Amino acid sequence: MPAKPKIAFFDFSSCEGCQLTVIDALQTHLGLLDQVEIVQFREAMTEKQDTYQIAFVEGSCTREADEDRLRAIRKQAAVVVALGACAHLGGVNSMKNRWAIGNVQTYVYGEKNKETYPSYPARPISAVINVDAAIPGCPIDRFEFLHIVQMMLQGRVPKLPDYPLCVECKLSENACLNTLGKPCLGPITRAGCNAICTTYGDGCEGCRGFAPEPNFEYMREILRGHGLSETEIDARFTMFNHYQLQQMGEDAPLSPEGLQSLNGELPTSTFAAPKEAEGHG
Amino acid sequence: MTKQIVIDPITRIEGHSKITIQLDDNGRVEDARFHVTQYRGFERFCEGRPFYEMPSLMGRICGICTISHELASAKACDEIMAVQIPETADMLRRIVNLASVIQSHALSFFYLSSPDFLLGLESDPATRNIFGLAQKHPEIARDGVRLRRFGQEIIEWMAGKRVHPNWIVPGGVGSPLEPEVRDRILETIPEAYAIVQHSLDWFKRSLENYADEIRTFGNFPTLFMGLVSPTGGLELYDGSVRVVDERGSMLVPGFAPDSYQEYIGEAVEPWTFMKFPYYKPVGYPDGIYRVGPLARLNIIDACGTPQADQEWAEFRQLDRGMNFSSFYFHYARLIECLFAIERLEQHLNDPRILDKRVRAYAGPNSGEGIGITEAPRGTLIHHYRADSQGRITWSNLVVATTHNNLAMNRGVKQVAHRYVEGDRLTEGMLNRVEAVIRTFDPCLSCSTHAQDRLALHVELVSPDGEMLDQIWRD
Repeated sequence: MPAKPKIAFFDFSSCEGCQLTVIDALQTHLGLLDQVEIVQFREAMTEKQDTYQIAFVEGSCTREADEDRLRAIRKQAAVVVALGACAHLGGVNSMKNRWAIGNVQTYVYGEKNKETYPSYPARPISAVINVDAAIPGCPIDRFEFLHIVQMMLQGRVPKLPDYPLCVECKLSENACLNTLGKPCLGPITRAGCNAICTTYGDGCEGCRGFAPEPNFEYMREILRGHGLSETEIDARFTMFNHYQLQQMGEDAPLSPEGLQSLNGELPTSTFAAPKEAEGHG
Repeated sequence: MTKQIVIDPITRIEGHSKITIQLDDNGRVEDARFHVTQYRGFERFCEGRPFYEMPSLMGRICGICTISHELASAKACDEIMAVQIPETADMLRRIVNLASVIQSHALSFFYLSSPDFLLGLESDPATRNIFGLAQKHPEIARDGVRLRRFGQEIIEWMAGKRVHPNWIVPGGVGSPLEPEVRDRILETIPEAYAIVQHSLDWFKRSLENYADEIRTFGNFPTLFMGLVSPTGGLELYDGSVRVVDERGSMLVPGFAPDSYQEYIGEAVEPWTFMKFPYYKPVGYPDGIYRVGPLARLNIIDACGTPQADQEWAEFRQLDRGMNFSSFYFHYARLIECLFAIERLEQHLNDPRILDKRVRAYAGPNSGEGIGITEAPRGTLIHHYRADSQGRITWSNLVVATTHNNLAMNRGVKQVAHRYVEGDRLTEGMLNRVEAVIRTFDPCLSCSTHAQDRLALHVELVSPDGEMLDQIWRD
């Protein structure tokens, strides 16, 4: 019997909810452990000496040191998979890209400490290294994770659905939230989550990224119909996809004010004064 | 020569946390500091964004505490809308909160800490984890997996996703409870009771083996703080905030959430980016207080459910009154799990629970909102201000781990005093420093939760910066 493929998990800027979801998946599908060997399940100092064939990477790249680690992972792994919205899209982390970076650092770390924790605008890992596959979502769907791992173990190239969420929402026999007056990004968002949020009553926020050829203009029109202001529509579009819109530059489907805030040009004085620090719990 | 030992846990993302132990000329511990820096800038992210996005956005702070952040956030947003949410929505939120406390406590107790109790703090770190536990005590490891799944499944069945569900919304919840989901949860409850009862039995029996840990793991008098119900009972979702002193005397029977700034001050130290909340009337740093399971069981008049009350009465006899040892956080987690199952069952058996009216709709009718809940690891405060269009202009988050910052520092110092000898780093010292931090179940260890132990890097550094000794543990 051939040796089991070795797989490793790495985390960058994230909440680690995706790795948690992997653990949940393993609890019910212990059989997977017969097929693969997990050699790393956290960021570890010895990673360069380790051998693994498949690397799952959670989190965004937010600093220079992350780039070195990502390249080391790329060098070792035959297959690199972006795990979840932060790695796949930049995710919520890229919201900070609205602000001039010096401003964010001062705000978060305080004036005297900003050198200690260097940081720059958040990006998906594909901005730094080649990525072979992505498992979208915030967090990932554990059944999709299991499905994609199985495909890779069979040597097949996992393909993501190339249609919008509305297809799955219809198959789930949901009433369309947009017709019920609840804002929903389903029409422009890539399917694959089985329309989980809309099934439980709240509109899609776009955590799986845009579907191919999204009709942004008409989406804005629908959202305007719900009474959303241009700023609110921009917010809806940028919650998970700020980086993607940033890449589109001038062509990003945002209001003039939204376009201004895409690349860290939002003036410091727009909102409240900087504060010293923030904790986490 | 003064020397410094630096323990540097490799945690997640931007920023990091570490421990420094300052030795005096005789190689004795002079001071110890726990530096926690966990920043992604969420307070900044949210500015300019619509208030109704907050529960969903703030939930993304953490993969473990998602529900707690979503609830504190939604409560703050309820205030911005100036609505009272439907009573069924209130109960449904309470149920997922209780489920979240159970899954988090199960993770902390079984996955993280029980390998220390059951395999021993001196045992090989390579197997001192849930997998090692599964080989030596398979039934206990299975209990942990099942109890965590019990909590996780309730969240999934009710809210759609285990992590970051969109179901908790300003004004209530996204969808009502289906009768078959209620019945499915009720069916799983007996097993959950059995697991917690069995775990309490073996844990209480084994307490005498941990006399040393009980004595030295963050065992000192502090104030205690947490939510209480209107009758002084255990409360995890909504209520007033009670502060009790080390003798058990009531300092504040219960202040309203919107006056938190009168009671909680936040000090800043130059050596860490994490603030030090303190009890304002006493001042800094004497106003040290603890939050979380131990604090909650110390401040209440009773739990308010029959089985948990029985266990609580026994718990309160341990130290003739207030329990100071942070080791008892573990014990308190089990009692809270029992309470959570009982309360959950009560809510599910309430006929109003299936009511279809679960969400209030409104625009931004108020410029400010404050939401306080009890996260599994302690009191969580979300405070927002919004403009007339409902865009967030300012926010402040005071999270559970921060409240315990002063106490964690003192806890590390106490353990270092007891276990650091000379200027060499020993495995036993490392283990105990890890273990004392773990009693607080701080959330910088979401990564630790997900795996099974802290990764540590310890450096022994002379005053001129020369590295004298180091240990890696990954």
